Amino acid sequence: MSFLYEPIGLSHYLAVGAFLFVCGIVCMATKRNALGILIGIELVLNGAILNFIGFASPYFRDENLGLDGHLIALFVIVLAAAEAAVALAIALNFYNNHATIDVDRASELKG
Amino acid sequence: MSELLLAAAQPTINWHTVMFYVTAIFACGFAVVVTTTNNIVRMAFALIVSLAATSGLLFLAGAYFVGAMQLMIYVGGTVVLLIFGVMLTAQKAFITMRTRASDWILGLLVGGALFSILLQLAFLIPQWQSSDYQAAADAELAAYVEKLKADKADGKVITQEQRDELERLEIAADDGMPQRSGEIGLALVGVRADKAQRPDEPGLAGYLLPFEIVSIHLLVVLVGAAYLARARRHSHAGASQ
Amino acid sequence: MQTLLPYLPSLLAIAVLLPLGSFCAILLGAQWLGAKGKFAGTLATTAVLASTVLSFFSAGIWFTAHPAGAVDHAAHEVPPVITGHGYTLATLAGTNVGINYYIDALTIVMFCLVTFIATCIHFYSTSYMHDELDDVVDQEALLEDGESLHRPGRYARFFQSLSLFCFSMLGLVLSGNYLMTFVFWELVGLCSWFLIGFYVERTTASTAANKAFIVNRIGDFGMLVGMMALWGSLGTLNFGDIDQQQGIFSQVRGEENHYALKVPDGMVRLAAGRQIEALALHATEPLTTEQLAAKVNAEMPVWREANLGYGLLIIAGLGIFCGCVGKSAQFPLHVWLPDAMEGPTPVSALVHSATMVAAGVFLVARSYPIFLPEVLLVVACAGCITLLIGASIALVATDIKRVLAYSTISQLGYMMLALGCGGWAAGVMHLVTHACFKSLLFLGSGSVIHAVQTNEMPQMGGLWRKMPWTAGTMLVGCLAIAGIGIPSVFGLPIGLAGYYSKDLILEQVYAFRSENPLWGSFFFAAAAGGACLTAFYMFRMWFLTFWGEPRAAKRFDRAHESPRVMVVPLVLLAILAVCVAWPAFSWFGLPTLSRSIEQARPAGIWADMHGALWHITLPEESKGHTAAVTSPVGLIELGAALAGIALAALFYAWKVLDPEDVSRSFHPLYHTLYRKWYFDEIYQAVFVRGTMALAHCASLLDRLLIDRLVDGLARLGVGLARLSDLWLDRQGIDGLVNWFAEQTYRLGSALRTLQTGSLRQYVMLIVASTVAMFLLISFWTLALTG
Repeated sequence: MSFLYEPIGLSHYLAVGAFLFVCGIVCMATKRNALGILIGIELVLNGAILNFIGFASPYFRDENLGLDGHLIALFVIVLAAAEAAVALAIALNFYNNHATIDVDRASELKG
Repeated sequence: MSELLLAAAQPTINWHTVMFYVTAIFACGFAVVVTTTNNIVRMAFALIVSLAATSGLLFLAGAYFVGAMQLMIYVGGTVVLLIFGVMLTAQKAFITMRTRASDWILGLLVGGALFSILLQLAFLIPQWQSSDYQAAADAELAAYVEKLKADKADGKVITQEQRDELERLEIAADDGMPQRSGEIGLALVGVRADKAQRPDEPGLAGYLLPFEIVSIHLLVVLVGAAYLARARRHSHAGASQ
Repeated sequence: MQTLLPYLPSLLAIAVLLPLGSFCAILLGAQWLGAKGKFAGTLATTAVLASTVLSFFSAGIWFTAHPAGAVDHAAHEVPPVITGHGYTLATLAGTNVGINYYIDALTIVMFCLVTFIATCIHFYSTSYMHDELDDVVDQEALLEDGESLHRPGRYARFFQSLSLFCFSMLGLVLSGNYLMTFVFWELVGLCSWFLIGFYVERTTASTAANKAFIVNRIGDFGMLVGMMALWGSLGTLNFGDIDQQQGIFSQVRGEENHYALKVPDGMVRLAAGRQIEALALHATEPLTTEQLAAKVNAEMPVWREANLGYGLLIIAGLGIFCGCVGKSAQFPLHVWLPDAMEGPTPVSALVHSATMVAAGVFLVARSYPIFLPEVLLVVACAGCITLLIGASIALVATDIKRVLAYSTISQLGYMMLALGCGGWAAGVMHLVTHACFKSLLFLGSGSVIHAVQTNEMPQMGGLWRKMPWTAGTMLVGCLAIAGIGIPSVFGLPIGLAGYYSKDLILEQVYAFRSENPLWGSFFFAAAAGGACLTAFYMFRMWFLTFWGEPRAAKRFDRAHESPRVMVVPLVLLAILAVCVAWPAFSWFGLPTLSRSIEQARPAGIWADMHGALWHITLPEESKGHTAAVTSPVGLIELGAALAGIALAALFYAWKVLDPEDVSRSFHPLYHTLYRKWYFDEIYQAVFVRGTMALAHCASLLDRLLIDRLVDGLARLGVGLARLSDLWLDRQGIDGLVNWFAEQTYRLGSALRTLQTGSLRQYVMLIVASTVAMFLLISFWTLALTG
């Protein structure tokens, strides 16, 4: 358990962010439920936020992003909320029109 | 103060590290749950936990304000919105929708490839693997204390400025970062308090315009969402054709 | 007061511009002018009232600076004139065309006259046009289904046009060159068109408006010809001298020639173009411009002796007079004025009797220095014929306004006759007095029409009991126009306004007769007979309207005296009609009318004029004022007037003679008069039909020749186009386009299978391509760095 004695570094944050990101990708790639895809997007965005905060933290690097990283993370959160609202509205509309939430059934534009 | 110096000298468990691992495991674990479960309700619950744990990670990185926002907006708002969606569409047939095994295999393959690349990149630079911030802060504090002690031994009186400096160093060593919510607020209205002292970048490179854009964007999104999601009476008749 | 003389042009300019301001305000702000534009009347009246005040103030300034003393015909003084230059509109061919002014006593008198009458009529109109404040049911304008027309009132529009008219009329009086005169001339014509067509839904009104406009165009065409003759030969259109630049008047009647009429050098030079060319070509050696000019100047007396350029001056004079014929409704263009009575009565009073139609007389008076005796003879002939025609038709007209309209034509004929016989002051004075009593008569007739709601005199009668003020003032007007006066009391004749002016005219014609017995006898007979006819038809009108028993009981019962705001202008104008021409004002140091006009007599109009081509002599005016002329003429005039009145009384008051009986026994004559000498029919047959026939011929030419040519060309084009369509388009261009379309379609069909519509697949592809890209780049960099 020697790693518990060591202070963590930026890499750890990047690793966790990458993991969340990949989880989100896989979630998007394997769910048929439109809301599931939405949830996957949220996870992806979380991974991105984590990266930004990691790069912004003075704990890890002297030349950090500083306040900019925080602000970008904030904007990401806000945009995620907005995106969630719109996507949810689309999903509900889709549900209203097709009586289903399965994205595989949404194939009007299929070539 | 002497206890602190002693603690720094001996190898002890770094609680910051411990807390990081605990919250990281929560975040990643529930992210895995989100990915693997087919039940949409469970998925939403797992997402809440994962997001909350992520906000813990943000706190640990010193981003207190962003962490709080993550909790409030994401966990408190967005996910609740999602859960509303889940409840509105939660008919038996859609609660669990299984995907084919081939999708799973393909997804895991591609995701694994991406993850391996990202992980490799994360640990690529040796300086990033660990942090000497705490050690440096402690060392600086100890050096300053030594200096003050030497001064005292010489019979000098400790001035108010020296006391303030000592206090600042103690805070840096104990609590880490200064609180930044005020600076973030100023930056959003266009004033960069953190850069005000730096001569090469005059402190007015704030985020007023993006802030305004985001505000308008949010408003538009809300209106749009309300418009899209409003109830339509004859939608089923239209869909049946 | 004299120190204010330099500001006189500005004062008069303000007086001109005030009605324009009112016009603009009503035009732009009609909807803010109170309910239904009621304030528009107040605004226009205020503006014209202010103009009146300014005009009378200017008159005060003028006559203080240039007191109108006793007339001394031997003095031959040059009249005081203020000319000036306001604004240059353009510089054409080296001469300035601009806004100039020419102010003399005539201008001042006309200003006072126009503004005063306009003010009276504005006040009168605020009451007369009261119906227009609300929605109007026009009984005379029938729709297709026989219903009366309902329309919103046009109170504001009426005053808008009236304001514009006042502006144009005052501008016309003030203008200092022919171009500006022409502009305002057309503007008053336009206003006349607006106002005649005020009840535009009535077919008669709109036709009358168009008729007036078109007939005036004919006259204006001649005026343009005259202006061009002046412009082309003299290089200027200014009346007077402005800034060392000689105006037309001083070129025609130069100071070096003692203001006697002489064909100006410019005209001689223009007419002698061939001779000048010969001079230049037949010179032994090439001439410089200066040498040629010197030679031309040397030849000038010879050419002038040969009457070169004389014809040009005649053309100029006749052209200007042609415009006046149209505007002043002289024979043969008099046909528009009776029809113009379709407009509201105040308009008839202001525009078609007092001011606008008098503008023609004014212009003749203004242009008098350039009129040759030959031209003036034409003026006199036109005036004489007009005078007789107008008076004769007025004898039988039954429409009260038409009687007055023909009377106006006749009186305008008097003015032209006077001017044509050399009576400058007589003509102008009749212009002023006529404006006073004719506007009075029109306003009185308006009052009657307002009361009985008809124009037809056979449906009136006995109205003096119902409307004593109107009857009284109109009686004054009738006496004035008939020219009642006592030839000599205390050495001065005393009478109503019309007496003085008509007396002057008759005296002048009498003097003319002694010089030219042939023409003069005819003119004098016409003038004296016209005076008798005038008295007859005016009193016929008065008796038919106010005397006797009511002939339409229903209308009589409804009739009532007009409101005070209509009666007061009547009384004011009646006072004016009585005493405007009294010479007695000079006892109080005031300028009398005749002295004011005498002061404005153009330089040079104080000597006899002799025609060069025809044997004709225009006597100077003072020859008519000798005792040998005044006493018989005064008696003849009074006798003619009294005879006319007595005849009218015989017919219509005492009923000794039956008008029906007389008309039956003189049926052909009566009918001719009743149909207005068949002028409208003749014009319709000759000009309108003739134009139509000409147009028909042209249209035949168009259809048979030109249309066929064009059609043939078009068919040729169509055939060519079909040919090219068949082979170039279908084979070449269509094939190319179709080939591209097919290829695009095929490519699209091939690509569409890529669009699976599966969200998961898309995500997968994105991630896979990201990974692949990363791998590619990293291998590449690895390979590069080794």
